[in-house]
Amino acid sequence: MEGKKNMYGSETRKGDVMVLSKFEHVKITGISTVVPPKEINIYDEAQYYDNNIKKIDRMRKMVGFWKRRIVDEDVTASDLAIQAAERLIQQMDIDKNSIDALIFVVQRSDHSAPANSFYIHNKLGLPAKCIAFDIRQGCPGWIYGLWVSSALIESGSCKKVLLLAADTPSVGIDLGDRVSAPVFGDAGCATLIDYSDKIVNSYYNITVDSSGYEAIITPASGFRLPYKKQHANCKVDINKDLYTPIKTKSGRLTTLSSVFMDGLAVFNFTINHVPKNINELFDNFKLKKEDITHFMCHQANKQIVQAVSNAIQFPLEKTPTHTFENYGNSSIVSIPVSINDNLKENIINGGDELCLCSGFGNGLACASAVLHLKDCYLSGVCDYKKPADHPTREEIINYWKHKIAESE
Amino acid sequence: MKENKMKKDEFLVALEDILQREESCNENDKLEDYDEWDSLSKMAVMAYYDKNFKIKIGLNQLGALKTVSDLIKLAGENIND
Repeated sequence: MEGKKNMYGSETRKGDVMVLSKFEHVKITGISTVVPPKEINIYDEAQYYDNNIKKIDRMRKMVGFWKRRIVDEDVTASDLAIQAAERLIQQMDIDKNSIDALIFVVQRSDHSAPANSFYIHNKLGLPAKCIAFDIRQGCPGWIYGLWVSSALIESGSCKKVLLLAADTPSVGIDLGDRVSAPVFGDAGCATLIDYSDKIVNSYYNITVDSSGYEAIITPASGFRLPYKKQHANCKVDINKDLYTPIKTKSGRLTTLSSVFMDGLAVFNFTINHVPKNINELFDNFKLKKEDITHFMCHQANKQIVQAVSNAIQFPLEKTPTHTFENYGNSSIVSIPVSINDNLKENIINGGDELCLCSGFGNGLACASAVLHLKDCYLSGVCDYKKPADHPTREEIINYWKHKIAESE
Repeated sequence: MKENKMKKDEFLVALEDILQREESCNENDKLEDYDEWDSLSKMAVMAYYDKNFKIKIGLNQLGALKTVSDLIKLAGENIND
């Protein structure tokens, strides 16, 4: 396919299943990541495996299950994102008045409305001229956010974008659910994206296979399945129908309000669709894999990362997997966590990092990018510290009861 | 994929490693009799065939696998007697 300039002057091609874009004046200048301090080690969960350490060893070897970080119940994705942003703003000495847009990529937001980014905008003390909006995406979400940020900058609408992404996939997963619980960890990140006078090329390919919409889903988590008995025409017994355990073929108990994941379907998508997405990116922009310094793959699990790397014939030694083993699959945030976990020293020492990044997950969707990270500020993977004035759930309930009772 | 051709015995040893199984694998074994024949193993088999044989196993094919012999047949010319 021949490329052509889009209305923003960028090279964009659209087809049935892909959006290929090249940006020339967008630079990622800083990435800060935080993870909760509470660490779960799968060897401390032996009771779920009949106290059989060999079973755990097998899973550790095959997919890399080991450690993961999870939030306290009263910490949300926005809390993690705000702290990552505050650290980035402080450490890079960013003038808040220079930020043109705040974007928050999130799945588990504080409220269904308004957008969570408004709360964050207020907490960070950003100016009224700084626009704020949410992007609701799963594991490819950080790349989606970069792509939208880059389009805003390349179009001339913004010069500086603060992209936040956070997720708490551990919340709501029963510890006895051994399909999901050992996989997911929680994390937040802030990324600063700036206009660059000098040419800095970045390349994206975003593709969707919406036939896999049901492969990763929480069936009762929004308005499609009622979460309140008072909903119009709702005749279901909420407790009976939505929260009664359903037994799977393997004997696992789950509910309609828990995450459902068809692991084999997701894996099938991953080893077929993701390599195709990446190869299209390289072929269309005539990029060379030998120029790539690292493949920062979504840390779905060790087996998946290695399968994708093998499928695109990229060296495994340049494809880190231990971020999954140390922090778990932090969903939207796993790529920036992996970048901070693996590349900080190299970039501090002047390394010219040209990274291939690929995120994939619910949708089913895949977003890949080739990004220059030379001179990018990296915070490392920092522990989240709960602020002293962090409200408890009880305090929040009392606050709203009082506020509503005082209203007309 | 001439360079990747392997003997049946070699595959049976490789299969122990793919499944992370401590006991030996035999051609007539039923996969459902293996404790290790779980989703992790199925994904490992898919990844192994993709990498070593350039064969993409579809979900229907995966569901139809009953024995180790079926796995050998699926590899076609990649596995010799």
